[in-house]
Amino acid sequence: MESTPVKELSYTRAIAELEQILATMQSDKCDIDHLSALTRRATELLAECRSRLTATDTELRQILAQFDQQQ
Amino acid sequence: MAGPKEYYSLLQLQELLRDLIGACPMSKNVWIVAELSDVRESGGHCYMELLQKDQSTGATVAKARATIWANAWRRIRSEFQTKTGRQFASGMKVMVCVTAGYHPLYGMNLNITAVNYQFTMGERERLRREILERLAREGVADLNRQLELPRPVQRIAVISSPTAAGFGDFMNQLLRNPRGLRFSVELFPAVVQGPQTARSVIEQLDAIARRSGEFDCVCIIRGGGAATDLDGFDDYQLAANVAQFPLPIIVGIGHERDTTVLDYLACQRVKTPTAAAELLVALEQRELDTLLALGGALLQLTTDAIAGARQQLAFISGSLPTAPLGAVERASRRLDNQAAALSRISATRVMPLQSRLDRLADAISSAATNSIARADARLKANAALIDALSPKATLARGFSITRVNGVAVTSAAAIAPGTIIETELADGTLTSTSL
Repeated sequence: MESTPVKELSYTRAIAELEQILATMQSDKCDIDHLSALTRRATELLAECRSRLTATDTELRQILAQFDQQQ
Repeated sequence: MAGPKEYYSLLQLQELLRDLIGACPMSKNVWIVAELSDVRESGGHCYMELLQKDQSTGATVAKARATIWANAWRRIRSEFQTKTGRQFASGMKVMVCVTAGYHPLYGMNLNITAVNYQFTMGERERLRREILERLAREGVADLNRQLELPRPVQRIAVISSPTAAGFGDFMNQLLRNPRGLRFSVELFPAVVQGPQTARSVIEQLDAIARRSGEFDCVCIIRGGGAATDLDGFDDYQLAANVAQFPLPIIVGIGHERDTTVLDYLACQRVKTPTAAAELLVALEQRELDTLLALGGALLQLTTDAIAGARQQLAFISGSLPTAPLGAVERASRRLDNQAAALSRISATRVMPLQSRLDRLADAISSAATNSIARADARLKANAALIDALSPKATLARGFSITRVNGVAVTSAAAIAPGTIIETELADGTLTSTSL
């Protein structure tokens, strides 16, 4: 299956795909052969979603500096 | 023309009026409804004008000075604030208990001794209810409330006053969230108190609507502060704009107890600007937790799947050395079982046949013996007859047989002299020569 690069997915679609991977892995359909591919995709999705939700320390410092200037 | 001989001094007239009014029982402790105007504090007392306006024209039809003396004002001011959530201020309609008094120098004055807080709350409530009922009739009251906040909520348009304390609280709470959740905030500055409020907020809502694709939600916030004048938010036009706004709106206006009509129309309502930020942080935190839980579940499943496969392998490799022995053992056990089965079959089926055979053999053997005995007896009887008929018996009786050259002689004439004659007797043979 050709999957969309994670950067191009909306957050909601990424979460939906993660939930689907989880469901696949919970079912009997998942064998060891597919496990590594699924895990790799899930890891990419998790990392992307997380980076969208949280800012890095550097970004945070920049945002706060802007805000403090305005105050 | 000559004037009247008797007259009053002004003071006498004023004192007469004061006494008349003071003597009139109807002037004491009367509940009246009026609008406040020109409310001001001085020397611990509260001074104001009470007005009544014509409902259709708006023209003032009655007006009186009124005072709340310091001893009553201290109590009324704080009770009014806590009970109604508002300041006792110009422009609002109140129900107050007054005692009319007339002062020779200052004229007519109404001394306020009590305030009906329920009336003020009811007034406000009535105004809000009218707005809500109208929006409901127009079918738009629930539109914003039915919108769902997107996932995630990160791009936030804020309508507030940049100088309001509430805005600073909001930004601090949002940007310094402990888990480093990412938010981007754009401020749309507006007047958030007094009569300009509705128009100013509507302008900024329009500005946001033109760029609605750039935001996840709108926050309308203002803090409490001294001048708690939230009347501006209880406005039909503003309410209609909020109700029909295309993006979800979060309102956080005033203090804990404050309410405006927008609270009933916005997608989400919270008590204060800080609470608005807390809501956004909580939503994102839940999003992050969901994400982490998904990650945890996936990790667990992967670990379990690998462990399961390992276990299966271990089982297979463990059973490989013992499998052939087991197979042999099972085959041997099968053979034993079959042998036992065969032996059971022989016991039940062959044995009866065999005993029947045995019985047959016995029968045959005895039948043969009997038959032989009978034949023997017959033979014996025949032998006795034969003995009786044989020459030997004749010989024993004294007869003899004469033979020449082994041939029996039955005529004496046939024997020439000198012939060797054999005579058989019962107990032997005698040889002689004929003379």
